Amino acid sequence: MKKLFKGPNAGWNSFLVLLLVLEFVVFGSANPKFLRIPLLMTASNDFISICIISIFVTMVMITGGIDIQVSSIVGLTSIIIGVAWQDFGLNIWAAVALAVFCAALCGALSGFFVAYCGVQAMVVTLGGSFLYSGLALLVSSLSSTEAYKGISGFPDAFKAISKTKVFGVIPMQIIIFLALAVIAWFLLHRTKYGRKIYLVGVNQTAAEYSGINSRLIIMSTYILAAVSAAVAGVVMTAYLGTSKSDIGGNLTMNIITACVLGGTLSTGGKGSILGTALASIAIGLLRFGMPLCFKINTQYLDIPIGVLLVVVVVGRALVNMPSVQAKLGKLRPNKEKAGS
Amino acid sequence: MSVIKKVLKAREVSSFCFLVALFLIVGVINPSFLKAENVTACFNTSVVYTLIAVGMAFAIFTGEIDVSVGSNLGFVAAVVGTMIQNGQNWFLAFGVGLVIGVIVGLINGWGVAVMKVPSLIFTLGTNGILRGLMYLTVGVQQVNQLPKSFKDISSMTLIGNFSIYYCCAVLLTVIIHFLLTRTRKGRYFIAVGDNAGGADLVGIPATATKIWAYVICGVMAALGGIIFASRIGIVTSLSGNGYEMKAVAACVLGGISLSGGVGTVIGAAIGAVIMASISYLLVFMGFSSNYDNAITGVILMTIVVADALLQKRAAVKNRRARLAARTEKVTKEAAE
Repeated sequence: MKKLFKGPNAGWNSFLVLLLVLEFVVFGSANPKFLRIPLLMTASNDFISICIISIFVTMVMITGGIDIQVSSIVGLTSIIIGVAWQDFGLNIWAAVALAVFCAALCGALSGFFVAYCGVQAMVVTLGGSFLYSGLALLVSSLSSTEAYKGISGFPDAFKAISKTKVFGVIPMQIIIFLALAVIAWFLLHRTKYGRKIYLVGVNQTAAEYSGINSRLIIMSTYILAAVSAAVAGVVMTAYLGTSKSDIGGNLTMNIITACVLGGTLSTGGKGSILGTALASIAIGLLRFGMPLCFKINTQYLDIPIGVLLVVVVVGRALVNMPSVQAKLGKLRPNKEKAGS
Repeated sequence: MSVIKKVLKAREVSSFCFLVALFLIVGVINPSFLKAENVTACFNTSVVYTLIAVGMAFAIFTGEIDVSVGSNLGFVAAVVGTMIQNGQNWFLAFGVGLVIGVIVGLINGWGVAVMKVPSLIFTLGTNGILRGLMYLTVGVQQVNQLPKSFKDISSMTLIGNFSIYYCCAVLLTVIIHFLLTRTRKGRYFIAVGDNAGGADLVGIPATATKIWAYVICGVMAALGGIIFASRIGIVTSLSGNGYEMKAVAACVLGGISLSGGVGTVIGAAIGAVIMASISYLLVFMGFSSNYDNAITGVILMTIVVADALLQKRAAVKNRRARLAARTEKVTKEAAE
């Protein structure tokens, strides 16, 4: 455990752990229900997609890009599963595979434009968010079911994705999240591929000169992000029991907040899976705890998340300002700079 | 001759041609479209997009972006709508709306220009806060009891079938265009976006210019919000959601480069008309409005990718020309 908190991001990760503990203390004392593990585990369904997607969007941001199309891919996945299963009579698992494959194609298309045509990631994924949510609507119009109703009545084997509990406590979606987090952590921090992602983010030209196929690396991160969005779409469809084209809703801000709060630098080159995972759980707990303990309407949750995002980015900018850093140095002459 | 060349080279001209071509294609498929009232309807519906796209253009000129305009617009529409609904003085309500726009702009400008936070992330945060504040203002109900006299302004026409709002928006855009291109301070925006470091070196206050850009963007969004309330007549807690993306798309369609320093507000206004027309045109082409987003996405992606490829080619060509000139010089010197 201690080893996880070593390295360049250690200070920030300990801050995130502190934030998580603080959330448990505050919410737990405000309403003891918050501390009931089964309730907490069930509630994780509502925010697990933020956690799953933000882990892989972190990789995109480390290469210096950004991905704001993932929430529309969640909806596209969901509706493809529904239509392929109900209206085309595919086996449910074949439908899931088809949906994940389509999502990967979407990610590859956007990634191709970003990496090989040199268009800004922001614009391409903006276009992608229009295109894929539009495609989702079109797919939903292929179905005999009215779009606003959503397709439901999935087989139990599929719904089991969100109903199964390992050891009777831990629901399947948490296992999926943890497994993906471990895979992503291994990919990013333990393989050559991960080192290349960082190098591309720090300096693409230098990466290119040192023999790295930087374009392929950039494109692959968008595919990974899209596939993670597809997994989130599958989990959400299984949990809600209906497939709808707008299931992704407005996840974008939560995902970007999770990445930034996790210590990812939006200009690229810096970030960690552990940081993002911790930050996304912190956001999830906030979304669960606020309505439960302080009776805040879920619609108002954009305020605390937005405030959190703004405070974190401004705070980090403040710490990095030369004048402030000089003062900090005077205050703590013997300590090394807190990793921020 | 040079004037004609200059006009043909201007990026907004190609987007205007694209708009005309779009109208003509729809006219060929369905001749009943090519009537004055249909074409003017396309322009009239674009008024809110035009205002926010012109505002957004300022942020993009300086090389930044503002994704909080959608919620800013919605929040102002909610506040102004509620005030007018409660029988308060209209001008007081408008004033409050514009002040909100200025405050939002100042906060965004402070975060981006002074604190140097990446603009997308900072404005994404303010977007969330404003959206939440909007829920607080509107609540579960809607603002739908607006007085008829307020709503009726939107159906008044000034020239031909053009609504009074659209005429004002066009006038405003033209004035802004001249201020931007003909005054010293106006040119600062493009200069900062083109090369912030260089602009700083020649004495242009880059930070102040960026703050100004955000304030203008906020005010335009507020104006858009007021007109939104008057035109639509109903403000729900979702009003204005996603408008920021449409404004960015309008700017891109109008030939404004997202890396800053390139483009005109006229282009943004034309792009806004294209954006607003798509769903209207689809009806005439016999498609359902389900195609709206997909087609917007395809057009947006095609244009930006084509633009990027063309620029890349131009850059390679320029480099070759420079290289050729240099080698020519070297061989000449060697011959001598």
